[in-house]
Amino acid sequence: MGILALVLLVVYFLPLTVFARHILVLTLFYAFMGTGWNLMCGYAGRLSLGHAAFVAVGAYTSLLLFSHFSLTPWIGMIAGGLVAVVVMMLIAYPSFRFGLIGPYFTLASIAVAEIVHYLLIYGRDLTGGSLGMSLPYVKETTIINSLINLQFDGKEPYYLVILGFWLVGLLVTWKMERTRYYLEAIREDQDAAAALGISVNKNLIIAACISAFMVAIGGTFYVQYFRYIDPYSIAGFTLSLNMALVAVIGGSGTLFGPTIGAFLLIPLTEILRMTLGAQIPGLHLFLYGILLVVCIIFLPKGIASLPGIIRAKKAKNDQKPENQASKGVL
Amino acid sequence: MAEKILAIENICKSFGGLLATNDVSFNVNKGEILGIIGPNGAGKSTVFNLITGFYPIDSGSITYKDQRIDGLTPDKICHLGITRTFQVAKPFPGLTIADNILVACLPKAAKVSDARAKVDEVLKIVSLDKKADVLGADLTTLERKRLELGKALATNPEILLLDEVMTGLKPKEMDDMMDLIRELKKTKTIVIVEHVMRVIMNISDRIIVLDHGQKIAEGLPKEIAENNAVIEAYLGRGAKKDA
Amino acid sequence: MLLQIIASGLLLGGIYALVSVGLNLIFGVIKIVNLAHGDFLMMAMYGTFFLYTVQGINPYVSTLIIFPAFVLIGVLIFRLIIKPLLGKAETEVNTIIATAGLGFVLQNLALMLWKSDFRAIETNLTGKSYEFAGIMLSAGRTWAFVVCVAVAVLLYYILMKTKVGTHVRAVSQDTEAATLMGINVNKIYTLTFAFGIALVGLAGVILTPTFYVYPTVGLYFNTMAFIIVVLGGLGSFTGALIGGLIIGLIESFAGVMASAELAQVFSLLIFLIILFVRPQGIMGKSARV
Repeated sequence: MGILALVLLVVYFLPLTVFARHILVLTLFYAFMGTGWNLMCGYAGRLSLGHAAFVAVGAYTSLLLFSHFSLTPWIGMIAGGLVAVVVMMLIAYPSFRFGLIGPYFTLASIAVAEIVHYLLIYGRDLTGGSLGMSLPYVKETTIINSLINLQFDGKEPYYLVILGFWLVGLLVTWKMERTRYYLEAIREDQDAAAALGISVNKNLIIAACISAFMVAIGGTFYVQYFRYIDPYSIAGFTLSLNMALVAVIGGSGTLFGPTIGAFLLIPLTEILRMTLGAQIPGLHLFLYGILLVVCIIFLPKGIASLPGIIRAKKAKNDQKPENQASKGVL
Repeated sequence: MAEKILAIENICKSFGGLLATNDVSFNVNKGEILGIIGPNGAGKSTVFNLITGFYPIDSGSITYKDQRIDGLTPDKICHLGITRTFQVAKPFPGLTIADNILVACLPKAAKVSDARAKVDEVLKIVSLDKKADVLGADLTTLERKRLELGKALATNPEILLLDEVMTGLKPKEMDDMMDLIRELKKTKTIVIVEHVMRVIMNISDRIIVLDHGQKIAEGLPKEIAENNAVIEAYLGRGAKKDA
Repeated sequence: MLLQIIASGLLLGGIYALVSVGLNLIFGVIKIVNLAHGDFLMMAMYGTFFLYTVQGINPYVSTLIIFPAFVLIGVLIFRLIIKPLLGKAETEVNTIIATAGLGFVLQNLALMLWKSDFRAIETNLTGKSYEFAGIMLSAGRTWAFVVCVAVAVLLYYILMKTKVGTHVRAVSQDTEAATLMGINVNKIYTLTFAFGIALVGLAGVILTPTFYVYPTVGLYFNTMAFIIVVLGGLGSFTGALIGGLIIGLIESFAGVMASAELAQVFSLLIFLIILFVRPQGIMGKSARV
């Protein structure tokens, strides 16, 4: 992890084009979002296709606080994260309490995102409705000023910010080693986990809340970077799906899965969009969808599972049993 | 005089209109092996589910070492020192055997590394140390049963509730499993639900018999084997005259 | 006024029910969530649109083309995408993601081929209404409602009275037992999936004269169809009908009383509550999965 972070820090000093920097920012953004999504949906196996709800809550909270009270987005994102946690509790508690699993949980998550979506449109006096909201531009005067307002004229500072977010996200996930094991056990068999002394609801709710908090903070970053949000882009199904996709393609329930997925998918989509998007709108997403379906069919556990599959094949060929105890998922 | 460690008093449980457990009372003494037998549908597994909190009881009380445990959730009951196995073994299929055991060690370990240090020891007890890297989904019936027992042991319980650990095993495998259970008895109290009479009569210190959710007999294995009500429950109402 | 709202609500509900019947069938029997459901609807609507504008084929007649075509598409999609995922670890999650990806593919295919324009056709029913005891009924929607009732009756007959229907019900209740009884589960799955897709194709045909067609029209109907399926109960066709009617009524009333967005929020909240307290739906009898 440290080496990877170092490499990415070195990348910062490379003379890259604006487009390349943009791709890097987006990639890290989705790596971070996927890491947040992964905590609840990958490790605990509760597939949410409505995580955009929490992104939107985070984004709108910090944006509203900034435009009405000039509150720095740094505090705004904490506030947004907390509101997202509250929203998550409203849905997570009854979901886990009533034992909503499998497709039922997924449908509930989609419904929550839809509700947030419609409420954002309905509250047009505050949120601008489906026309969306722009981030009030503050002219860059001093570095301190830019930092406080989390607004920069170039892409480079955003790169550093999202690199930091992503690192913290990975670190948080990594530090939760015990919880990760519990969540995996709960995913595999809830009753068996409970019988072994694992509190199912407590661990699920912890995972759900941290997950919501993380993607809500990502929402604030989205606002600051794109300077414009609307309900369709930030509470819509596509964003929810994208968070899930980077994690699933990379390998959900593994520490680096979402990051691997993001580094593979996002540059690919963006380059496809650049080269094909102008001539034939939709072609890049069409190819993206096909890639996804093929990946799910042939590599359902994601790219992170490849080494394991290769090792298993090798072990079968060699006929040598490995007696080494597993060192856990890392 | 044996020391009472678990007291089940007048517990009832019904599902819909069906009375699955009807006013059942019994004690478990420290260090004994208590066998629970009964025909299919007698409510044996239900009793386990009630003791370990998977279902709430409708009435009655369950007391473990002077503490009421009815109403507690399964994980809390496990923390107090009562662990059960499941009739249909429940390995975590996507985790390796070592991780299966690790997960079971974790709740009572102060640090993850402490739990990890314990894994090998547990694997050896249930003879799965050569299978540490195999996935839970890829085990044979015997290995599944062993893993199920291993996971329960990893929680370091005082009372171990074993639900049909012999089902599906070959006679030789059963003998191994019986040896293992006898070994465990040295440090633990064991309650065992079992279909295989040879096993239960052999290893139990005491036996209680359930039929239609009620306790119909309690005693030493020898007494149970000669008990008319038990024979009747197993062989049907007409059997009494011939017996 | 009140009667008018109820009547429009019922007609809308009938259409929703028709849209959700195919989803219900697939969800109830194969136990998979087809997130591309609405996008198949969209494809059928485009099909109808072009059959009318290019070939001059009346929308109601194009059923004869769309329905069999969608049976074939259904078989193909099942063989290529769904079947490889069945019976493996995490089937539920993977089929959800695969069908979401499929939906993505279909939406963008439509965008590539036909741009994001809103399209509508005018038939001799467009704009017409029937007046019945002072209540105005949109002609297109009335016919859609009639078709919906006919489909429901036919489906009920097939499921309850024919041998294939019995097999489908057996598979839906217990796959293993059905296999033991010599039922070819794979065949039933293929049949169910193909038929479910064809039914949503039919719904697309019926909708085209009264709704706009655009690449993401499926998303709107998708949510609605899921709400109705869960509301009415999995595998319960009466439930789907009742669920459709309830949602139609809610939308109709809330549309008049409050705003369109609040109507949606209200439907979704009811959906969540039903999911929590009664996941088997109002009419469903199967236990929690």
